[in-house]
Amino acid sequence: MTTLTPRGRTGRNSGGARIGRPSFLWSMPAITFFALFAIVPLGVVAWLSFNSWDAIGSPHWVGTANWSAMFSDPVFLKSFRITALLTALGIVTQTPVSLLIGVWAAGPQRNRAVLSALYFIPLLMSSLAISVVWVSLLNPYFGLPHELHAVFGAGLFNDGFLFSSPTTAIGVLTFVGMWQWTPFHTLIYQGGARAIPDVLYQAAAIDGAGRVRQFFHITLPQLRNTMMTSVVLMLVGGLTTFDTILVLTQGQPGTSTTSAAYYMYTKAFQSFQFGNASVIAVVLAVFTTLLSLIVVRVSGWDRMRSTQEGI
Amino acid sequence: MAIFRQRLRHGAAASGAALLAGVAVAACGASASAKTTIKAKAASARPAGKITVLVYGDAQNSVEKWEVAQYNKTPEGHKVKAVFESIPGADYQTKLQTIMSTSSAPDIFFNWGGGSIEQFQKAGLLMPLNGMMKANPKLRTSFLPSILNAAKIGKNYYGIPMRGTQPVVLFYDKALLHKDGVPVPKTWAQLLADAKTLKRKGVSVPIADGGGDQWPTQMWFEYVYDRIAGPSLVTDGLAGNRKVWASAASRKALAYIKQLVQSGAFGPAKSWDSVKFTSGQTAQMMVNGISAFELMGSWDYSTIQSQGSTATGTNPPNGPGAAFVKAGKLGWTAFPSIPGGKGNNADLAGNTENYYSVLAKTRYPQAVADFLKIMYTPAFVKNELALGNLTTTKNTPTLISGPSAGWLRWQYELVNHAPHFQLSWDQAYPQTDTNTIHTAVANYFDDLNANQFIKAMEGLRPAA
Repeated sequence: MTTLTPRGRTGRNSGGARIGRPSFLWSMPAITFFALFAIVPLGVVAWLSFNSWDAIGSPHWVGTANWSAMFSDPVFLKSFRITALLTALGIVTQTPVSLLIGVWAAGPQRNRAVLSALYFIPLLMSSLAISVVWVSLLNPYFGLPHELHAVFGAGLFNDGFLFSSPTTAIGVLTFVGMWQWTPFHTLIYQGGARAIPDVLYQAAAIDGAGRVRQFFHITLPQLRNTMMTSVVLMLVGGLTTFDTILVLTQGQPGTSTTSAAYYMYTKAFQSFQFGNASVIAVVLAVFTTLLSLIVVRVSGWDRMRSTQEGI
Repeated sequence: MAIFRQRLRHGAAASGAALLAGVAVAACGASASAKTTIKAKAASARPAGKITVLVYGDAQNSVEKWEVAQYNKTPEGHKVKAVFESIPGADYQTKLQTIMSTSSAPDIFFNWGGGSIEQFQKAGLLMPLNGMMKANPKLRTSFLPSILNAAKIGKNYYGIPMRGTQPVVLFYDKALLHKDGVPVPKTWAQLLADAKTLKRKGVSVPIADGGGDQWPTQMWFEYVYDRIAGPSLVTDGLAGNRKVWASAASRKALAYIKQLVQSGAFGPAKSWDSVKFTSGQTAQMMVNGISAFELMGSWDYSTIQSQGSTATGTNPPNGPGAAFVKAGKLGWTAFPSIPGGKGNNADLAGNTENYYSVLAKTRYPQAVADFLKIMYTPAFVKNELALGNLTTTKNTPTLISGPSAGWLRWQYELVNHAPHFQLSWDQAYPQTDTNTIHTAVANYFDDLNANQFIKAMEGLRPAA
């Protein structure tokens, strides 16, 4: 039998982990792509962060001037706090909603397909279009805050002037983000929930577990890996959110919704300070990479195994 | 390599996506940088047999296309062909900035004069037009001098007016003012009193301000500073004197602005941050009687006219805004005077004009000169007027006609008699300062105090 197994693989592997894995060459297209579109630009940006350049003529070397300027810029430091806040709010609001809808959508109910399809629509629209729609919907004089003044005038919503206070502006960004992105994460959870074998539920039902207990003791643990995937995607998406901010708040009021990605854009393409913008880009890239590495380590994503062993 | 592979396999999806998104913006800039250095060598070789005309891409390009076609019919046009190119509006300045020192730089390009061309001039990329004007004096004498001056740097002219002038004026709702017995404000005190009366009579936001866009707020500063301190404060500031912002006149202007804001004339505190001009919200407020006044560039006439319109293409607007204008409800007046101030009441602020500037390295200066001649022909003026653009040639008044003739003539006289026409601050200062100015004016309306505003403005880089 051993002659049928490719040589060199069984020979080298003491454990079974690498059995059947293709050689390094197979990943060359991906590595080339990654190097060309991520590593090389990152290198250029890192170099640019030590230069002063306004897009006319050639960059000139200024040493660490950009770096010290940015690190003494209160807006720069604040923009990272805002980015962290928006990301955290995104995860906290989107996860429960998409988890519940996803699990529901995985079931065999009547009208499920129709409702799921309707619910999926926001994902098909461009972020810009979504943002433009919400700007009009939230107009204090002619939009929802005016029509539903009983709700929006209650104090929680800054009297309907949602873009005038930092709290409500952040609230709007979180809400629109949720509206836009839950369908996507719902889809991930739906797929995850569909893969859970029925026998588990049947066994639990025999043991007398109700719907709630089944959800907490079967569905949730079984969706652990799915949840990690979804959260990492939210994390990365949240850290680089830009388009909704550009249309909805433009970083305002004051600088209270100026996220790092948006601040980078204003530095580069409104102020033409490409050196300073590159500093933000580098910090953002390093920060994001570290964060996803931490998540991968802490969550044990790199040791991820099937949750269905033994079934 | 094993570690690399391990990380790649598990972390790549996440960190790779983040890296890509994180550097995408700066990467665009980086590729342009590489281009710059390569193209610097090739720049002496400009394309043969053609000149490129680059304009801001929008609904008004029909006239610019006509200019190119017109030029191509002339004998010079048979030798050197003009080619029309455009960049969609929102990206215009950014993309122009990235191609100007490359071999794809246009021979002739659209701009706003002032700070929008200053960096190019400093980098030696622009051709002074004095020589062309000497050879063909009409290129200078056909235009209003104050307009030509707005594209003058030092002793040299760098721009030929090519669209229309857009002064900022105070728009108002005639019917609402009449109903509430409120006079059209000629003085600052009257404006304050009007706002108070209107508020009492239920006009919740007497003056509409698209604070969410920031730049509309800036217009109040431009006028109050002019009326109180005279034009020299800002022109000195532009010339590099940063001390002007802390002067007594500057503090006085800031106090006047704060007084108006705190009187509630713009609605409840910070409410303006939830309103934008660009999404048609202030026009909607004017048409629906939420507001009685709006300080805005002359383009607001057509913005208000097309409010709520469902007409497409070249069809006339058909919504509530069109009915509002047709019923004669829309009024306009010059910015009120401030007694005791140094500024002339006839001074203007706004977008002076749009200009064609010329690349210093152009291979065919004669062809360029021939092309620019079109900008003072009656046919050109008529075409622009038909689009609603108020040209700044001296022959314009004789060519005005049609339903909005009254509005256009009034503006022309305003511009013609203005002792000083201040280009919007955000365009007079170099592009690199725009963001600082916008943030400073917006935050002063919200909660900055005078000292904080002054400090922000002192951070502007001198323009000259």
